[in-house]
Amino acid sequence: MSEAYFPVGPGLGLEENFLSLDDILMSQEKLPGRAESSLPRLAFVLGQGAGTGDSIPEGTKLEIPLWLAKGLHDSKRRIISVELPKIYKEAWRTVFSADATVVDLHKLGPYYYGFGSQLLNFDNPENPEIAQTLLQTFISRFRRIMDSSQNAYNEDTSVLVARLDELERALFQAGQKGLNDFQCWEKGQASQITASSLVQNYGKRKFTEVDG
Amino acid sequence: MEPAEAEFLAEKELVTIVPNFSLDRIHLIGGDLGPFNPGLPVEVPVWLAINLKQRQKCRLIPPEWMDVAKLEEIREQERKEDTFTPMPSPYYMELTKLLLNYASDNIPKADEIRTLVKDTWDTRVAKLRLSADSFVRQQEAHAKLDNLTLMEINTTGTFLTQALDHMYKLRTNLQPGESSHSQDF
Repeated sequence: MSEAYFPVGPGLGLEENFLSLDDILMSQEKLPGRAESSLPRLAFVLGQGAGTGDSIPEGTKLEIPLWLAKGLHDSKRRIISVELPKIYKEAWRTVFSADATVVDLHKLGPYYYGFGSQLLNFDNPENPEIAQTLLQTFISRFRRIMDSSQNAYNEDTSVLVARLDELERALFQAGQKGLNDFQCWEKGQASQITASSLVQNYGKRKFTEVDG
Repeated sequence: MEPAEAEFLAEKELVTIVPNFSLDRIHLIGGDLGPFNPGLPVEVPVWLAINLKQRQKCRLIPPEWMDVAKLEEIREQERKEDTFTPMPSPYYMELTKLLLNYASDNIPKADEIRTLVKDTWDTRVAKLRLSADSFVRQQEAHAKLDNLTLMEINTTGTFLTQALDHMYKLRTNLQPGESSHSQDF
């Protein structure tokens, strides 16, 4: 059954994909950082102080969303410095290289790959290692995703996708669609004409409620 | 692409039928068919064969390869070799399903054929998955997939291309340097 709408995939690189909902959600993940100069009257904006006039002194620890960190980070004018979140640090990188399949990326991410790629924007000396770990993690988890998505027919997949990050979940869904379409055809259900999912969902929401 | 579309394409394949009516040559956009004479075998596309069969106007002669001995041989060959072996028809899965569903009374040992084809299919799909995994693991740039049929590509195609897309992007992250900063403050 062809889909009513096609979601735009994540950019998964230095640049975000402007139209991707996943990337928008990913860009508000928090990043640990530190104020490199005092930031007058910004405490309220960054969620630190109560009053509108409070300022952030130099060296304060901050938790800033990625989109703001990208804007504020500048190697020439040192406004803030950004640290790596712990799952991209060396300790966790060792865990990923040991056995990436056991890690619960949904709990740690859930945008592990996208967020990790975005971290490469901040000129961190560990960038090559991070990029390498991201790639290796994807490769070693690939087999598990492929096998589970192509074999789980007519069963509850929530256990299978529980540990997957958002990117992997989309991949899992693609695999499931291939399998389901094939099984559907093999059982002869493909020749039955069904209502489009768009039409089926049409009656479920009353538009008066939305307008009011 | 959907399996139904692959099936649609398979319906253009030719099969032999023995009609029990007579009709002159018919001229269609896709080509001329017929003439049909009772008792004389004639080659027609699958879609017409099925239609005639459903109206009980013909007897279907199964394709040469749709035979237990031949399919057993194909299955063994497929299990023995590491690479994909050539299939008797590029639409073997679709044709088996179509012909067995609509004309099983004209095909001897229909159930055995069904199982054999399914076995072959399973072997091939397992092989496909295995090679996809080693392809990703070794980070190869290109692969040659000879003798794969449309339906087989169709089941894992979207998944595989999406995964390779992601992998390609993650791999380009490895080469820093030309990081383009579109916004400078």
